[in-house]
Amino acid sequence: MIAVILALVLPALYWEQGPETAPTLREAGVECVHVPAASAAAWEKAGFCHVGVSPATLEGFQKALTPGVRMIANEASATRSPWITANGWRFERAKDKRGYLYEAKAGVAALAAAEAFTYDAEALIRIEPTDLKEFGRMLGFLKRVDKPPLPSLADVGVVDDRSALVGEVMNLLLRRNVLFRALGAPDLSYSINIQLGVNYPKSEAANPGAFALKIRRQLTDDKRLLQIFGSAVVIGRFTSDGKTARLHLLNYGKRPVEGLRVRMRGSYGKPALLVAGQESSTAEDYMVADGGTEFSIPVMGAYSVVDFSVVQ
Amino acid sequence: MRRRAFLGIPAASAFSFSADSAPVPRYKVVSAYKSQAGQGMPGLFPGSVVSVHSNTSIDETTEKVNAPAVAQMVAEGMKTLCGVKDPRDAWRRFFTPQDVVGIKVNCSGAPGIMSTPAVVAEIVRNLVAVGVRTEQVYIYERFQNQLDSVNYAAHVPQGVKIVAMEGFWRGSSRNYDPKTYVEVDFFGEDDTRSNLARLVCDPLTKIINVPNMKDHGASGVTGCLKNIAYGSFSNVARSHSDARTHTLSFIGTLAAVEPLRSKTVLQIMDGLRGVWHGGPFSPSRRYRFYPKQMMFGTDPVSIDRLLLDIIENKRKAEGALSVWDRSTAHVKRGGLDSPPDVNRYIREPGHIEYASKLGLGVYDVAKIHVKKIEL
Repeated sequence: MIAVILALVLPALYWEQGPETAPTLREAGVECVHVPAASAAAWEKAGFCHVGVSPATLEGFQKALTPGVRMIANEASATRSPWITANGWRFERAKDKRGYLYEAKAGVAALAAAEAFTYDAEALIRIEPTDLKEFGRMLGFLKRVDKPPLPSLADVGVVDDRSALVGEVMNLLLRRNVLFRALGAPDLSYSINIQLGVNYPKSEAANPGAFALKIRRQLTDDKRLLQIFGSAVVIGRFTSDGKTARLHLLNYGKRPVEGLRVRMRGSYGKPALLVAGQESSTAEDYMVADGGTEFSIPVMGAYSVVDFSVVQ
Repeated sequence: MRRRAFLGIPAASAFSFSADSAPVPRYKVVSAYKSQAGQGMPGLFPGSVVSVHSNTSIDETTEKVNAPAVAQMVAEGMKTLCGVKDPRDAWRRFFTPQDVVGIKVNCSGAPGIMSTPAVVAEIVRNLVAVGVRTEQVYIYERFQNQLDSVNYAAHVPQGVKIVAMEGFWRGSSRNYDPKTYVEVDFFGEDDTRSNLARLVCDPLTKIINVPNMKDHGASGVTGCLKNIAYGSFSNVARSHSDARTHTLSFIGTLAAVEPLRSKTVLQIMDGLRGVWHGGPFSPSRRYRFYPKQMMFGTDPVSIDRLLLDIIENKRKAEGALSVWDRSTAHVKRGGLDSPPDVNRYIREPGHIEYASKLGLGVYDVAKIHVKKIEL
């Protein structure tokens, strides 16, 4: 039922205000909304594109966390470790990416939309009305860059026993931009397969951050598909069909990131950079060397998409 | 230019570090720039330091700087360093009218302590005197808010550019060169690169390093080496975590990266004021002192080796822990004005000797030639 209701290509706005807000929605570039079923008739009368959602249907949605970052002071250091709340790992392990609901707190509606889009997740996003313009702008950008999704690339395989512990390992791998694929069984095409309780003791994953670091170091940074420099709060999803590639970059921080440097293992053609909030953007300092492709993004807000051709 | 990458030398073969120091990590240095033989660190005068003291250079009560006394210190220091009678001949040994000159100031302790505006102004005046146009002079530091707290613009001629690598929001990488960097994984941090300031690569042709005389909670002291290294690269605070830091090897490794090494041709240590504890910051006058001294040279290791004794002797006189103290029992979290028997980290004053092993200068005191001038 949810799938029928949603059938979304792009993330959609769940909007509880009345049809009198239709002009505001149009002004923000939002052309269609999901609304409580009880108000569907009023929206119909107002002539605004809408989908009514019953309370029971909404209740059945999986709740996505509010994406973002908070700084946690390291106990004995002047340095600080940002803690990122992200949903990507949940989408990556999900067998069915439909039926998610974001309760986006103020200031993160655009990021929530971009995150759902990045992972091809069908999601409704309930936003703070103050975020409407920003959300509408992001929706417009997502329409502009939308194209059929490509398969995601991964550094390591993780055998998913559906436990919370494995989930947290996935979360921290993704947090470190160690790209993973959730598996039912080990896949020898990956140099590292993580199967907790089999080839790695579960006790080792009790500190998932340290465990993810161990995996990163086993893999070695040079062999990672994706490395990001210049920010500790940007997470990437790398997709390719072998001919073309698309890199999604999500900035979970509140501030724009300037001069982000990206390295991808392998050879890729000059990137076509699309930055949310910018009419046009050009990747800088592109180079292919030492088994990798690198480029810089002058400035990016919540989200960027980078398209490449794959050099064989 | 050809892109060049090499792995750093493992610690065991390069340096016998203290047993409880963090092991020296694998450094990957990437730079397309070649060494300019004979230029930069240790430069024209390895193992030579001119130390100039003037009791009238600063008023200890008001901290008012005596600009004419500073001018005399600079003139005498430069003449003696180069063995000439006219200070302009000394400056001409290093700079031509074609040079684009960067002055690497230190503002991390500002406004309590910084590269004194009168010192920086005197350096600019001498550059202009030998034909360097003001438009070809850059005063640079990493952080805009620190530069703003000093306001060098009020002290130097119009045309001099005053630039920070990172603006109001720290963390921007735009003004760092993505192709010149040191890559290293210290503590499992996600961002493992430290990039050299674009300015250093281009347009600067020469750099004058103007550090202060300061204690440093992580590196023991902060002088020539740390100012030029940590002050010219991005993402360096990651070398500090918990009680231990990687300042032992990171400072010298960064300072040796080309073109920073070859372009840094002159060291002028501003010791009108100093900080004997709590450095590099100086939020109150509690730990400031007044050496009223400046050191001139081209060898950062030699000057920093002398600085070690200055800070250690002052700490001893004040009853503070030695900069060589490595007891974890003394390491505690605390504010910037923590007591002198508390360390923020285990200090790594060995970073100076480590840098000497990388060829950056002379560490052995017996081999350092010091000329002292009293004004």
